[in-house]
Parts: sequence; structure tokens; C-alpha cells
Amino acid sequence: MKIISCCKIVPEEQDISVNNDKTLKLDTAGLKISLYDLNALEAGVELAATQEGSTVTALTVGAKVSTSNTKVRKDILSRGADSLAVVGDEALAGILPGETAKIMAGAAKKLGFDLILCGEGSADLYAQQTGLLLGELLGVPTINSVGKITINGSTARVERDLEDEVEIVEVPLPAVLSVTTDINVPKIPSMKAILAASKKPVEEISLADAGYSSAPASTVLSILAPDQADRKREIIEGDSEEQIAAFAANIRKILN
Amino acid sequence: MSKMPIIFVFSDKKDRLPEIIAGALALGEDVCAFVVGTDEDAQYAASLGAGVVYTFAPQQDVMLEDYAPSFSALVAGCGKKAMVLLPPSKRGRALAARMGVQLGAAVANEVTKVEIADSVTVGRMVFGGLASGSEKITSPVCVLTLSSGSFEPAAPDASRKAELKQGAFVPPAIMPKVVGQTPKQGSSVDLCKAKKVLCVGRGFAKKEDLALAENLATVIGAELGCSRPVAEGEGWMERERYIGVSGVMLKADVYFAVGVSGQIQHMVGANGSKVIIAVSKDKNAPIFNFVDYGIVGDLYKVLPGLTSLLK
Ligand SMILES: Cc1cc2nc3c(=O)[nH]c(=O)nc-3n(C[C@H](O)[C@H](O)[C@H](O)COP(=O)(O)OP(=O)(O)OC[C@H]3O[C@@H](n4cnc5c(N)ncnc54)[C@H](O)[C@@H]3O)c2cc1C
Repeated sequence: MKIISCCKIVPEEQDISVNNDKTLKLDTAGLKISLYDLNALEAGVELAATQEGSTVTALTVGAKVSTSNTKVRKDILSRGADSLAVVGDEALAGILPGETAKIMAGAAKKLGFDLILCGEGSADLYAQQTGLLLGELLGVPTINSVGKITINGSTARVERDLEDEVEIVEVPLPAVLSVTTDINVPKIPSMKAILAASKKPVEEISLADAGYSSAPASTVLSILAPDQADRKREIIEGDSEEQIAAFAANIRKILN
Repeated sequence: MSKMPIIFVFSDKKDRLPEIIAGALALGEDVCAFVVGTDEDAQYAASLGAGVVYTFAPQQDVMLEDYAPSFSALVAGCGKKAMVLLPPSKRGRALAARMGVQLGAAVANEVTKVEIADSVTVGRMVFGGLASGSEKITSPVCVLTLSSGSFEPAAPDASRKAELKQGAFVPPAIMPKVVGQTPKQGSSVDLCKAKKVLCVGRGFAKKEDLALAENLATVIGAELGCSRPVAEGEGWMERERYIGVSGVMLKADVYFAVGVSGQIQHMVGANGSKVIIAVSKDKNAPIFNFVDYGIVGDLYKVLPGLTSLLK
């Protein structure tokens, strides 16, 4: 079985600061794999282990400054995929999921697939759309909120974790599934896996090869931080008996 | 602000329909509802203010999301600039994305703001709630899921009548089959309404230790909440109790965090509280940028001490 696990490279949240004009300072932030895509990578590797002769390709799409980062590329590959496919281009900075999904669809057609896995949503936009858009663009079944996947020949039996119910669905393959964080616990890469990562193949796919031409139905106008509420910030440093008593006194003030 | 000529609405959850129809009435000239269900469901949509209601007969073993081509056919057929409004539920999001592709329409999830002029502009939270993003939509049709609380729910009025039409099911080319459905145990908590919330984070080493938080919560009369990993990774608490951008947005008088680091995705759900209090052993934890009162200390020492002092 050919599996593609998708992952986005995003700025490290803790490094993002707010400029005076309320815009976000992103260029100095470190980069990492978007948190919930770790579950998609892990799910691909776990499923491949149950299906003999399977391969897992990780696919990432984004601005070149992110996708060319060798440290994150290595991190992706150390999580068990056999190879990495990258579509990176300056033109992709700040694009919305509609465009990302078109590029991924082009890349996926080129790579070939039986199953594509996506995370629940990215740490930056968290639109929770990309996997669904991708499946619909490819003309294959596409299902979100998948908490469990079992492959039976040419179908996947999936459990969907919805707000009020668990739904079990038989999905003919190929398909695109977006997984929840409950589907697995992503493993921390071993030293061996980290060393092996640098020897794994990386394929660069150009926008032209992905058959993409830009025609977005929506674009970002601005990203601005709101005003923060003023807080007192009376912080006691230490947990001696007196300090806990002083803290209790503070709390008593507001409880009464 | 100008209005959208026609807005189509659907909700997989009956209790979200009043809010979505209210949004459609505010933003559009005509409101057309899709209903998968009975005549009674159609009458309910009419009573909330939909002018036209299409009723679709429920199909056996079919996911609700597989009505996307049926709905899209009617939206495309209207031949006007149009908007589709859905709830931000899992099914709502899936329908939104699929209809978006079918209609060549922009899709935006959990929008908190919609402005209609020559084009449509929507606002939604990005970067875990650190900022608000504004998106300009250029396609003639757009599909939005509305963040809850964006509009005051419409009140039903049985004297309102709609034009009732029968919808035809258009199956997708390839259709998965629903083979089972198990209802989940309903949760009784509604943290949005709680006045005081004591929130536990991953600073607790094991589930049994939550008793320390329960004791304090009882003493100060607070409802218990948690951070996302406590509910999702650890499974120590119900999903309905986690606070943050993807969970509950509090409007409490007091929010009290214990063993929570205060990442922005979490704090966005807590920042609506009047007073913020925190206990964490890490002096540099981001939570201390957001607090009114804090203590840098070990929760295993602070909680028992505090509980006996506040009794
Ligand atoms: C797209 C996206 C959406 C997200 N949505 C949400 C959301 O809605 N809600 C949410 O909560 N998270 C959300 N997250 C996750 C979020 O980024 C954080 O990972 C999470 O909030 C951290 O939870 P925590 O504070 O409990 O754990 P940690 O970050 O591990 O913090 C634990 C804290 O406890 C302290 N501590 C440890 N031991 C003790 C002790 N003995 N005494 C006192 N203090 C101690 C530590 O110093 C630390 O400060 C989201 C993430 C992403 C990417």
C-alpha cells in the first residue's frame, strides 16, 4: 500500500512576538512540525507496519524558507516515513488551505497513493479543512475526525469521533483521512531513527510539476493581535508557608 | 453594509439552527434552509425565519456529509451570488470543505465576523488565538462555518410559514457506507456558564492527584476544567471540560490555573475571565504574563495549604 502522510512546517508558537503595530513577528521564530501532524505521520507508519510491502511518503507544502529547513526535514524523516516529498516556493508564503490543497492534490497524483493521512488542523491557521479539500479535489472519499483505521483489502474501516456519537464507516480506497490526536501517541524518534533520517530520499516537486497555477478564491488581508487585557501580575515567588498564606490572602480578597 | 442575495443554511445539530438562521437573516436577503429529516423539522426551520425549506428524506447508511452534492446542486442552481452558513461541528466542517470544492467557493471555518460589500470579508482566529486574521473572499459563492456566539439565536414563531420543497438526493460518485453508530454519553457540564473555574494542567503527575484540585474546587465553589492534553492525551477528564481555542471559551469571574503552562491556544479560552490566578512551579511559564495573582511553587505543597487556609 502507498501511504502519504501530510505535515505542515510552522513557526514555533513560543517564539512569536507581537510588533508595536499589532502584526506578528514570525521571521525570527524557530520552525517545527505542526503538532497535530505528528499523529498523521505516526498513523502512516503504524498502518504501513500492518500491510506488507507498504511505503510511507511524508509530504509537505509551503514557503521555501520553511520547507528548506534541514533540521525540520530530518525531524520529519526520523519519525519513520521512507521518503519525503517537498513542494516549496516563495510564492506560497501565507496561502490559505484552498490553495495548499490544490498543490497537494497535484503532488499526490504525481506520487501515487492508496491512502492519504492528514492531521486535525495546523498550529498556525487551524482551519481543519486541508485534508477534506484535498480528498474532494482528488475525487476520492474524504473523512475527518478519524480516531481509528483498520485496513481490510481495498477498504478502510474507520471510527469517527464526533461530538455526540462514534460513527463507523467503511471507506473504499483510495481515500483521504484526517486523524484525531487520539489515534496514537507519536513516538519520540530513537537515536537510530535520527541517524537513518539523513540517508532517506527527498524529492522536490515544483509548482509546475504539481500542475498548480494560482487562482485563490480567498486571500489573507491582515493578521493582527488584539489588545491584551491589563492584568495585575502580583506574583509571589516561592511556596513557603508564609508565601502560601499571602497567596491565600490575595485569593480571599477576590472571592469575597 | 450590503446584503447577500441568498443564503443557504444547514445544521447537523438542531440546537445550532436558531443561531445560524439568525446569522443568515442578518446577512442575506433570502434565506433557504436544507433539512435532512421530517416535515416537522422543516416547519421548525420555517418558524425560525427560513423563507424556503428543502426537505431531504434520510438515506439508509449514508453519512450526512454525503448530502454535499445534493446541497451544492441547489446552491449552484440559484444562479446568484450566494453564501452557505453551517455550524462549526465536525460534520459542518466536512460539508463546508466538500461544498467549497464542488462550488469553486472559498471556505472559511469558525468565522467570528462577516462583512459584505462588493466582496465578502471574514474574520477568524489564527495562531492559536494570538491574532485575528482577516480574509477577503473573491469567489461569487462562499461557504462559512459560524463560530458559536456570533449571532443571537432566532426565536421560533410558529406563525411563520415557508415555501416547502422536496430535495432530491444526489449521491457522490464514490460513497462510503455507515456500518455503525454509537451515541456518546452526554456531558452535563457547561463551563461557559460557570462563574469560577479551577483548571488543571499537565503539572499533575497522575490522575489520582486531581483529588487535590477537587478539594480546593469544593472549598471555593468552582467547577473543574482542564487543559487540552489532560482531556485528550491523558483522558483524565471529559472533552467538554478543556479550555482553549479548540475547546471552551470561558466567561467566568475567576479562572484559577494549576500546573498549566499557559500556551496561547489555552489562554485564549481563559482570557475572557475577569480575574486570573495561577500556580506553576516554572517561573518563566507564559501563564504568569496573563495573571492577576500568581504563585511560583509546587502545586503539591500549595494546593493542600491553600485548601485548609480557605476552608
Ligand atoms: C492548533 C492547536 C490547538 C490547541 N488548542 C488547545 C486548547 O484549546 N486548549 C489547550 O489547553 N491546549 C491547546 N493546545 C495545546 C497547547 O499548545 C499546549 O500544548 C497545552 O495547553 C499545554 O497544556 P498544559 O499547560 O497542561 O501542559 P504543559 O505545557 O506541559 O504545562 C505544565 C505546567 O505545569 C508546571 N508544573 C509541572 N509540575 C508542577 C508542579 N508539581 N507544581 C506546579 N506546577 C507544575 C510546568 O512547569 C508547566 O508550566 C493546542 C495546540 C495546537 C497546536
